[in-house]
Amino acid sequence: MAICTGCSLLCEDIVATYENGALTHVKNLCRKGHGHFQAAFTERTVPMIDGEQVTLDRAIAKAAEILKSAKSPLLYGWSNSTLEAQAAGIKLAEKLGATMDDTSSFCQGILMERILSGKIPSCTLDDVRNYADTSIFWGSDPSSSHPRHLSRFSYYPRGEKRQKSYEEERTCIVVDVRKSATARLCSNYYFRVAPGGDAQFMEAILAVLEGKIPKVGDKKKMIELGSHLKKTKWGVIFPGPGMIDSLQDKMELFERLLAKLNEITTFKVIPMVGHYNMRGFNELMLEKTGFINRVSFKGGAAAHGPEHSALVAAKTCDAALVIGSDPLSALPFCTAHALARLPLIAIDPRRSLTTDAAKVVIPSAISGLEAGGTAVRMDGVKIKFEPIIDTNLLSDEQILTRIMEAI
Amino acid sequence: MAEVVEVIIVTVRDIFQDEAGRRSRFSDEYKNLSALIILDKQDMIRLEAKDGQKLLVKNDVGSVVVAAKTSEDDMHPGLAFMYNSPWSNQLVSDNVCDGSIPGNKRIKATLSTTEENMDITQISELQARMQS
Repeated sequence: MAICTGCSLLCEDIVATYENGALTHVKNLCRKGHGHFQAAFTERTVPMIDGEQVTLDRAIAKAAEILKSAKSPLLYGWSNSTLEAQAAGIKLAEKLGATMDDTSSFCQGILMERILSGKIPSCTLDDVRNYADTSIFWGSDPSSSHPRHLSRFSYYPRGEKRQKSYEEERTCIVVDVRKSATARLCSNYYFRVAPGGDAQFMEAILAVLEGKIPKVGDKKKMIELGSHLKKTKWGVIFPGPGMIDSLQDKMELFERLLAKLNEITTFKVIPMVGHYNMRGFNELMLEKTGFINRVSFKGGAAAHGPEHSALVAAKTCDAALVIGSDPLSALPFCTAHALARLPLIAIDPRRSLTTDAAKVVIPSAISGLEAGGTAVRMDGVKIKFEPIIDTNLLSDEQILTRIMEAI
Repeated sequence: MAEVVEVIIVTVRDIFQDEAGRRSRFSDEYKNLSALIILDKQDMIRLEAKDGQKLLVKNDVGSVVVAAKTSEDDMHPGLAFMYNSPWSNQLVSDNVCDGSIPGNKRIKATLSTTEENMDITQISELQARMQS
């Protein structure tokens, strides 16, 4: 059995056969995971400096030279790296006095902070499978982002207390700005919100739970929703980027909603983390520094703040190391533009917009396929994996250790 | 003459586009699934556009030429959807780069039809802009 590192569900039941450099047989992979496994054979990187192929030793030496001479380096990525690589990265950041940040900084970070501090109640996906009778996908679309979520945990499986499952015992509710693929599955329980309208919708739910008339939405439908939530025995909310983006500085409203729901029944929250080990990075950083992301080690002690977000640091740093991430594809143009102008080091198994713009490219083994390690699933469960393909490529952890030794 | 239409663009995910991007960010498959804007029927009528029509999407931050696609969703005039990609990120505002969450769920932009010979913005063009 293999582990799929294609998303933060870290599916552990994958059967994959590779023969003569091709994927010949797979079982249990979703479409997204299939793309991830196929990627092992396309557009692999080679060691490069300024667009010229070099030896791995030269690329590592050049990366060390750039980082050593930088006054304010940024180390970014990390959500697609193992815990072992992240730990090596934190040591490197401490040694360099660098700024360190990951994708949670402008995605699930503000929610994850509350989960890890215990402000918002959470649970495991196994609890969801065994007990949940109501799952609310709020600003999230697992059919696109986590394709096996519904089948393994939240809707279709027969759990310990949910033997009648989706036929009778489970309800899926979707709150979103569009009728997503997931919303189409449960169209009777789809609630459309306007962009930025999630706070108002939360206030409307709070109103119906308190027996008042809601100010927004279809009043009859909102009252039905309130009744359903009150009858729920064990509920869970899965917030996605849509809800986080819409709420931003109004997260206390979400805390209020959960407090109210938990006065009536049981409701938990699991953030729909995208990358396979974003939560691992947040947990590790919290343990080592007291902060989940946006940390600067300049001057020795760990400092935290919005000025250490990758979005800001990309404009103020004088060199950057990007690992397992493609910010030139995924971040706003201004950030991508700022990063592309820096002496950029990209550690990545595959070609990307970021590796194309990098001064130094260091190829790495793909975690889960070619390198083993440990990661933390979206619900906080730690999962260990072994490689299933033999390779001579170094893992992220080994590359970071070599860079550190060369500094 | 077709109108210039103002929209709010929300970036979203799509499993087919995601899978294509995992295989290659430089493929035609990824470009065709990413350089796309999904519009309400009414907005398509105002633009006198059909599926596949090339549209110039423009705001204060940047511009891209992408293909139009009619939404299968219920009516949502003025609301458009793009999949997360380097094309949508060309339009994400500069002034959100202050440590907060980027505004890629509420991008204000205008849409207009293009000259027939204008092509979809290529990934190489986007790379050149970033590296300029």
